[in-house]
Formats: sequence, structure tokens, C-alpha cells
Amino acid sequence: MNEAPAAAGEKAPREWMVRAIGLVKRHGQEEVLRGIHLDVLRGEVAAVIGPSGGGKSTFLRCLNGLERFDEGTVEVNGTVIRSGLPPAEEARLHRQVRAHVGMVFQQFHLFPHRTVIQNIIEAPVHVAGRRVDEARSQAMALLERVGLAAKAECRPCTLSGGQQQRVAIARTLAMGPKIILFDEPTSALDPHMTGEVLSVMADLASDGLTLLVVTHAMSFARRAAHRVHVFHGGRVIESGPPEQVFDAPREQVTRDFLKLSSE
Amino acid sequence: MLVLAPRWTAAAGGAALDAIRERGWFTWGADEEGGGPYVFPAPDQSGRRTGFEVDLADELARELTGALGKPIEARFAQAQWDKLPDLLQTGRIDCILNGYEWTPERARYLLATVPYYVYELQLLARAGDTRIESWETLRTLPGLQIGVLGGSAAERFVAEQAPGARVVSFDGSTNAMGEVVKARLDATVQDYPIAVFYQKEFPTLRFVGEPAAPGRYVIYVRREDSALCEVFNRAIVSLRASGKLKEIYDRYGIWTRAQLDPVLSSLPKIDDSGETAPLAERAVQFFHAHALILLRAAGMTILLSVVAFPIAIGIGILVALGRLFGPKPISILLAVYVEVLRGTPLMLQLFVIFYVLPSAGVYLDAFSAAVLGLAVNYSAYEAEIYRAGLQAVPVGQMEAALALGMSKSLALRRIIVPQAVRIVIPPVTNDFIALFKDTSVCSVITIVELTKQYNIAAMTHPAEVLPLAAVAGVLYLAMSYPLSLFSGFMERRLAK
Repeated sequence: MNEAPAAAGEKAPREWMVRAIGLVKRHGQEEVLRGIHLDVLRGEVAAVIGPSGGGKSTFLRCLNGLERFDEGTVEVNGTVIRSGLPPAEEARLHRQVRAHVGMVFQQFHLFPHRTVIQNIIEAPVHVAGRRVDEARSQAMALLERVGLAAKAECRPCTLSGGQQQRVAIARTLAMGPKIILFDEPTSALDPHMTGEVLSVMADLASDGLTLLVVTHAMSFARRAAHRVHVFHGGRVIESGPPEQVFDAPREQVTRDFLKLSSE
Repeated sequence: MLVLAPRWTAAAGGAALDAIRERGWFTWGADEEGGGPYVFPAPDQSGRRTGFEVDLADELARELTGALGKPIEARFAQAQWDKLPDLLQTGRIDCILNGYEWTPERARYLLATVPYYVYELQLLARAGDTRIESWETLRTLPGLQIGVLGGSAAERFVAEQAPGARVVSFDGSTNAMGEVVKARLDATVQDYPIAVFYQKEFPTLRFVGEPAAPGRYVIYVRREDSALCEVFNRAIVSLRASGKLKEIYDRYGIWTRAQLDPVLSSLPKIDDSGETAPLAERAVQFFHAHALILLRAAGMTILLSVVAFPIAIGIGILVALGRLFGPKPISILLAVYVEVLRGTPLMLQLFVIFYVLPSAGVYLDAFSAAVLGLAVNYSAYEAEIYRAGLQAVPVGQMEAALALGMSKSLALRRIIVPQAVRIVIPPVTNDFIALFKDTSVCSVITIVELTKQYNIAAMTHPAEVLPLAAVAGVLYLAMSYPLSLFSGFMERRLAK
């Protein structure tokens, strides 16, 4: 617990995509995060697992500023955010971080008043300032990639959950992120739709994109992740390659959790 | 407000008189709001009312007591002045006794007693304003702004005698006088008793020239109540002969030599030719008399609505965003803004803007004041609607937008507000129709829109109330129906 981030191999600090040091987050009296130390290397696929209420989602949201934290430091793609910064400075850094960090939500959060393709080109056009026709052709390529080119002109509400999540991934990819944060991307989906989303994610992983995935899909974590982090009670209680965490967990909590998950 | 007055037809001419004898009192309708020296709250704060018409009603009761051989009491019934004929027709009062002039239009529709007072019109201007020397000035100096009581004889007189003047109609006599004092109007024309009574409250006003354009105040009863009318006639004649009338009028300083004129103190003959003209001809006359005026008034209703509502929407959006996303002090300030404006009546706000702000140095003409009042009042309601609409958009929408790198304001503009708009279209349409109808409140600050114009026309042509109401109603519907169509179209378009 609270151990220094385990450096993988010989990689230098520059190779960190994400580094959290001593992250503490409180909701009133309750400590949701109690000193998180965790790093994600460039090109790494990291899975965060653990029982509900362990602080997994909160941690993820602290990384791109959707949540503020009370103590500690976060470094994302070279941008360092410390707790207790002046609000204006913090907001500036958040935007700097978000320019390179994508996020995929459990509930997709597609924009219901826009078509699929409009959802995808919204940020490229209005944030990155790209030309509409350029953004559109890029969006079509992304839709091809997630297998939904035929749905470009549909409203999100006409799509299945799995299709919506694939659009959400394409929407995130359109901004060319260096890392994508996945916040339980398949938890709101029927089991038969989980596969189509996970295979898109596996595709991204094999392309060398850095992914930080909070998930309950253990098979995905085992297959695609380079490292697995187990969250419990606002701490990282165990980290390691999947074969170690899944097959020879050190902590009793991890064993209990994995036993429950496999049932 | 459109009031359709059904005409109950009593069986015999003596129905009302019999009823009065039966119950021991008669009710006379009048408006004590700004009603001095006619009917007004007694200055001793006793809650009683006084005025020469109160004294007259008591004298009439005494005469009726003699005529009916039974104690009869006079009971006062409060009503808005221009609605008194409607009240009379519905049988809720027995007569109107409240400075109602004899006009041929009214006399065709109601039964008039002999005049109880011969009024004249008095021209009033500021003491220091030497331009206005006599009635003649109204003709020779074009462009003068003259305040009058809406629907009164003074209004018609000025319109006829001084076509170059701009006539501004008020709901109360004292409002017009106050505006002359504040130099927002050049002069006002008032019934002589009013001018006399309020002279002490407006010491800077000066009587210009002699009283002019005499007319007759009469008591009106329903057409079928000829017996009651006869009793009143005998009572008035006897009060005049005994000097009781002069006694009353002297008490209020309003006795004039015109009271002695034998012609003016009796009723003129009615020219009934208009009544017997063929229907088609009457319809043409009706159209000529009212159509254009009502259409123009409807134009004012539309203009007020379409100018005021977009402003209300604009302010409302800013207030809602400020309340939801602004820093705490601003959010609190805006909450107060909303509560104050929602919690006080539109009429009061219009009054403050038009009559009170000028003393703080902010002068707005009637139209601007009306637009401002409507826009500010409705902005509070709009703000609450938008706040609800914005809060109805799931939090995740904002988070997704922020995560894509949008700034908060871009996210609001591109993602949150467009979704909120769809949610709020039905209530906003509702509000627009409400504002559309609330434009009629602006008549308190001299705006003449459709309802006001209808009231004025109905006042001067009481026999044509029904067709007038129909025309006004059709105009309102013709204006609001396209609005509903448009709103339905927008809902369908945005619901896609």
C-alpha cells in the first residue's frame, strides 16, 4: 500500500503518460481516495478493477478534471496539476489536459440533439477549429473503424447501447487523444453487446494507444491489459501484470473480489 | 377584458321599482377610485364615502321613500367605471349614478333620467406655461399633448376641436393632471367638478379660459325600468325646484350658472334614424366607425408582444445562466431579481416605470415603458423556465462536452442550451400567449391596444357591444392562432 509507483522495466520518467502521487479526495468527512499512487506508461493498457465504491471512477475523473482532489499531484501527458491551485489556473490546466485525454463514459453521453456524425465532428470543428468537410471525412473513417458508417446520419436514440458506445469511442478518437480514459464502458450494456465494444477497445490497444480502463470485464482486463490495478477503500491495494493479479493475487481482498466476479 | 352583457328582459316596466319597494333599498353603481368630488372615501378615514353623488343618492332615497310610502335606502355598489353599463344590464345594480354623460348612443341602449347636473369642460395648463392662453390655443398651436380621461366627453371634444393636438388617454383623471404638472403633457381637459376638486392637490395647475362644451350628467336605468326612471325624474325635478340640488353642489363648489339653463337641464330628442337603417347599411357604418381603429389597436398589441418578448427571452436566459453557473453573489442577486419581479403585479411595475422613474430622472415614453415593463416582468418567468430546462439536461452532457475539450461556455451554447430549448418550448409558448394578452395591462400607462380600444368603442357605442366584442375576439384569435401553429411547428422540428 502507498508504495512508490512501480516503474516498468527501464523506462524513464518521461515515458509516463499518467502519474498520480498521493491523491486524496474527500466528500465531506468521507475520504473517497486515500492517497492513490499510480502510473500509466505511454502505449500501456492499464485496467483498474475492484469492488464498487473503491474510488475507481473518482480517480479517473480526477485525471481530466471532472472532479477536483484535495491533496496530491496528478501529471497527465506532461501537465502537472497540484491540489489547491487557484481556480483560474486549475481550469486552464484542465483544458490543457483535456486536449489530449479522451474519455468514454458508462452511459455514453452522446448528444441526443445531434446526429451520429455531428456528435463526432462537434469537438474537432468547434474546439480544434478544423474545417467541417475535413472533420466529416475523418469522422466517416472513424465510423468505418467502429463499424457504424451506415449510421452516420442517424440520431443516437435510434442506436443500440453497444452502437452508441462505439460512436462515443469514435467521438473521442476524433480529437486525436494520447490516452483514453474508459469509465466502465460496458457496464450499462447487455452482455451480447459487450463484445462489440470490447473488440473496438482491443483494436485501439493493438494500435498502441494508451488506455486506462475502469472495468468489470475481467476477461478483457486479462487479455488486453499490460497491468492491472486493484482499487479498494480508496487505495490501490495491488498492481501487476494480469497473469500475476488474476492467477496469483497477493491480497485477500483481490481473491475475494475475483471469486465473486467469476461467479 | 371583454364583458358581454346579456340583456335580461323584465316583464313589466315596474319590475325594478317593485323589487326596490319589496326590499327597501336601491343600489346605485359608481367607481370611488379617483372619484372626487363624485364619490370618494371620506377624508375622516371613517371608511364611509362622500361626494355630491352620495348626497344626491341619499336625497333620491328620501324622495323614493315619499313616492313609495315606505322607507327606502340608497346603497352604493363599487364597480370599475367603464363597466357600469354591463353591471346594470346584468341586474346587479338598479341604476348608474356616476358622472355618466347623456349621449345618443347610450340613450338608445339605456334609459336616461333628466339631467341632475350640467357639466362643462375645463382646460388646465401649468401656471408657468404662457403658451396656452385659451381654448383657441389648442387649435392654433398644433402638436400639443393633451391628457384626458379615456372614453370621456373631454376625449371626444379635444379630438374634434383640436385635430392637431395629440390626445393621450388615461385611466384616471389625476394621472393626466400629474403628467401636466411634471411637464410630460402640455395641458389636460377635465370635467369642471374634477378640475375644481383636485385644484388644491395640483396647485401649479391653472384654469385656462371659461368652462366650455356643456353636457348632461344623467342617471341610467335599464330600458325596461321606465317606472323607476319616472320616479327618479320626479325626484330630480323636485330637488332642483326646492333648491336642494344647488345646496349640494354649493357644498362641493361645483355649482355653475349652466345649471339654470332650461334646455341643458332637460333631455334632448334622440335621432332614431341610425336604429332603423337597413342592416347592410348599418354594417357598413359599423365597419367605417370601428374596423380601422380596432385593426390599428391590434397592431399595437402585436408590436408590444413581438418587441417585448424577445427581450424577455434574452434577459431570462442570462438570468438563468447566471443563477446556475455564476458566482454565488451574482446567483443570489439574480434570485432576488426573479422573486421581486414575480412577486409584484405587472400593473404596479408599469406604474413605477412610467410614473415614478421620471422623478429619478429616467424618462421613458409610453411605448418604451410598456416594452420595458413587459420584458422585465416576463424575464423573471422566462428565467425560471430556462433554469428548469437547463437543469433537466443530464449532468453527463456537460461532462462529456468538457471531456472533449470544450469550455464551459461553448458547452452551454452548443450542447446544453439547445437541449434545454426543446424542453422549454411549450412553457415559453404559453408565456408568449400570456404576454400577448397582458399587453392590455399597458392601458394604465396610456397605451391604446386592442382591449383598450374595444373598451373605448364599447363605451361610446354601447348598443354595438356585441358586434364589437365579436370583432375584438376574432382579432385576438386571428393573432394568437398563427402563434400556436408556429409553436407547434417548432416543437415538431426540434423534437426530431
